[in-house]
Parts: sequence; C-alpha cells; structure tokens
Amino acid sequence: MNCQNCQNLISEYVDGELSDSESRSFRIHLSICSECAKLAGDFAEIVGFCEENFAEDSTPPNSQALWCRINNIIEAEIEESEVVDEVPVEKAGRSFFGGPLSLSVGQVLASVVLIAVVSSLLTIVGFKNFSAPDDGLAGFEAEPSVFEKVLAKLGVGETPADRAERRLKERKSAIEYWSQRVAKRRVEWDTGTRVTFDRNMDVIDRAVKQYTILLQENPQDEISTEMLDSALNEKMELLREFSEL
Amino acid sequence: MIWFYHIPGIRKSALKATAFLFAVFVLSFLAAENVQAQKKFSKTYPAGKNIRLQLTNRTGTITVRGWDRKSVQISAVLEKPIANITPKNLSGTILIDVVRDNKGRNDVGEVNFTVYVPYESAVDIETRIGNLIVASIQGGLVRAHISSEGDITLTNIGAASVSAKNVIGDIFYDGVFQPNGIYRFYSMQGNVNLRIPLRSSFRLVATAPSTRSISLGSFSNASMRFVGKGRRVVGKVGAGSASVTVTNQQGSISLLRR
Repeated sequence: MNCQNCQNLISEYVDGELSDSESRSFRIHLSICSECAKLAGDFAEIVGFCEENFAEDSTPPNSQALWCRINNIIEAEIEESEVVDEVPVEKAGRSFFGGPLSLSVGQVLASVVLIAVVSSLLTIVGFKNFSAPDDGLAGFEAEPSVFEKVLAKLGVGETPADRAERRLKERKSAIEYWSQRVAKRRVEWDTGTRVTFDRNMDVIDRAVKQYTILLQENPQDEISTEMLDSALNEKMELLREFSEL
Repeated sequence: MIWFYHIPGIRKSALKATAFLFAVFVLSFLAAENVQAQKKFSKTYPAGKNIRLQLTNRTGTITVRGWDRKSVQISAVLEKPIANITPKNLSGTILIDVVRDNKGRNDVGEVNFTVYVPYESAVDIETRIGNLIVASIQGGLVRAHISSEGDITLTNIGAASVSAKNVIGDIFYDGVFQPNGIYRFYSMQGNVNLRIPLRSSFRLVATAPSTRSISLGSFSNASMRFVGKGRRVVGKVGAGSASVTVTNQQGSISLLRR
C-alpha cells in the first residue's frame, strides 16, 4: 500500500469499515510511514473528539424541516445570482483593464506587492534549500524557516513550536481517553499482565518526564521534541493495545 | 520406613522394590498433571511462494522460520487456561489473531508458537508480551512488534521492508539491507544491535538520546555526522539506497560487521 491509497482509506479505517485484510495492510503501512501514521492519529482524535463532544448536538430536532429550509435558501440564492448575471457588462463597474474584471487600482497594486513579497520569500527559501548539503538528511535541528516564520506571523501557518504544542495536546487528550479504558479493564487482568503493564508504563513515563524537563530548558530542541512525541505515541499505543485485553 | 525392616517375614530387598515402584508412580502422576496443564495445537496449510503470515498473540513467544517447502506449518503449545485459536487461510494470507479470538476472556494462558513458512513469505507478527524470533525470511516484509516487553531476534533476513519495535527488550537484526528498502528499529529501553554486510548501502538516522551510545564500528565514515550533542548520527554508507532509522530512547545502538 502506498501513501495515497493509505490516506484515501483513513476515514474508512477510523469508522471501522475496512475488511480485515485491508485493515491489516493499512496498519502495516502506518507502522513504516510516520507521516501517514500521524495523519491517521490526528484524524482518529478528531473523530473521537467529535463523537464525545458533539454526539448529542449532531441531530437537530426536526432534521427534515431543517433540510427543507436549507434547500429553499439555496434555491433562492441561485435565483438571485441568475438575476445579477443578466445585468449588462457595461453597468458592472469600471475596471482597471477596461474589461469585465472588477478590480480597483488599489487592489491591483496590493496584489502586485503581495506577489512580489511571496516570490522573494520563495526565492530565499529555494536558495536556502539549494545551498544545503544534498544528503537528504539535513534539517534535523533546523530553526523554523523564514517563510514559516512569516506565515506564522501572518497567522496563516504554524511554526514547528506551534505544531509541536498542538500535537502534544492531541496526544495528551488521546492518552486520557485510553487511560480511562485501561482503568476499567485492568481489574480483570492477571497479576503478571498488571505488573508488566506497570513496568512498561513506568519506563515510558520516565522518558516523557525527561524530555519534558529538557524542553522546558530548551524549547527549540528538536530531538527532544521528536522523542517526547514518540514516547507519548508509545504510551498511547501501549494503552490502546492493553485496553483490548 | 525404618520400622518396616523390623517386621518379621518382610525382606529388605522387597521393601526397596516397593519403595522404588511407589516413587515411579508418583513421578509419572506428576508428569501427567504437567502435560494436562498444556495443550498442543498443530495445523499445516499448502502455500505458494507469496504467502503472508499475520499472527497476533497475547502472551508468549512466537518463532517463525523459513523453510524450503511449499507449506506453512503452525505448531503451538497452549498453557492453561487454554486460549482459543482459529487460524484462517484467506487467499494467500494465514491469519491467526489470539487477541481477537479471546476477546472478553479475562483468563487466557500463554501461547508459544512455532511456525514454518516458505522463505519468500511476508511475515507480520505481534504480541502484547513475549519474545519474537524470525529466521531465514527473504520475502517482502518482516514486521515484529511487541506492545510491551520482550526481545526481538531477526536472523538471516533479506526482506525489503523490516519494522521491529518494543518497549523493554533487546532488538537484534542479522541480515542484509536491500536496495531502496525501508528498515525501522525502535525500542524504549534495551540494546539495538544490527549485524549487516560490510558492503551495505544505506542512509542512517540513529538516535540514542539518553545514553548517546551509538557505535558505528566498521561503518563509520566521513559522511557520518553526530548532531544534537551526540544524541543522533546521520549519514550515508555506500550509495545510500536503503533507508535505516534506529531509535533507542534509553539504550545503545550498535552496527556490527557481518
């Protein structure tokens, strides 16, 4: 299974609609592709969160009537737009190029400036990447790129720190969910299973604690960020897999 | 027993023979009890070259070995309380899932599997607790995951995609890295040792953040860089066609020449 197939099947997998063999192929791909695994994890958390928090609100009291109202509104808007389309082009306002475009001089200038800025940034990023060593391994400890910083300041993108923080929150909420499941199940386990689980959880918790302290000292430390993320992922997997026992 | 010797009419040799027979009886009774605490399971499936084994265990050791036969032989020793096992043969995939087959049961004993598969098979095994051993597999995939603790031993492996993961325990890989292959080894606590041919070609990302113990041995070269204050090594060996990622959160990583 390749990444595209895997990503097409994420929704079905999370909904439990895949066959056993598809599900197994999917999980195998996740075990060797961290990108798809992260995507699947994010998707599962979103679905889980929605199911928990919006399950009661998802069905309106009279859904048929609501759909009728929505249909009426859409049809009314379509009719209005058809009426607007019939207005002659000459009356649609003065355009910069004298054609049917309806951009003002200010808008055109702003667009030109924006295109220039974005092109410059892309050139800088491209140059930076081009001048980096071509071993495909660079960037493990890289600072956020200029482009990423600008996007973050504009509020469009998120910095690696923001991303790490968001992932941390998601992991923690998932861990809380699976911890509750395990807490219900563990009373039924035999002593050996309980002891093994606790010993392994202890190792993971110590790692989590260690990287949390390291990140408090140096929030830009990418290896610690990655290791913390990985340890939390391990914790989630351990909880999820033992919750089945 | 000494007082028996003083009973008139009973000879010492007869008493010794009786005692010996009694001891044999007791021992055989105990052995029979022990055998009853176990159950054996065995099944053989005919197999083509591209067979796939998918085995999920709860507790116990799984041993998978490649052999030069067109069949899959599954043997298992089940400890009490005896687990349910219902293997399935789904168009080239032998599927055994002890976790699913025993869902809802609180008391399931250890199951120790020994499986023989054709050399070219794909092997995907996992267990919640226990050791995993895979030997002589040259198929497309070897995946060996332990949810918690146990050692993973992969020997004579020629698969293009290998993934080994545990929380506590050692990982040992003895095999080759195929061109464009993907190899992932991950442990939280243990030792990860990779034994590979000297002429291997791969890109390496090895991370041992706690111990910083990353030994490259004969594979050390100018392209290898220690980054993150010695917590990670990145670099290439040869043309670097295979991708190798090794992470050991609280243990060492060693590359050994085969």
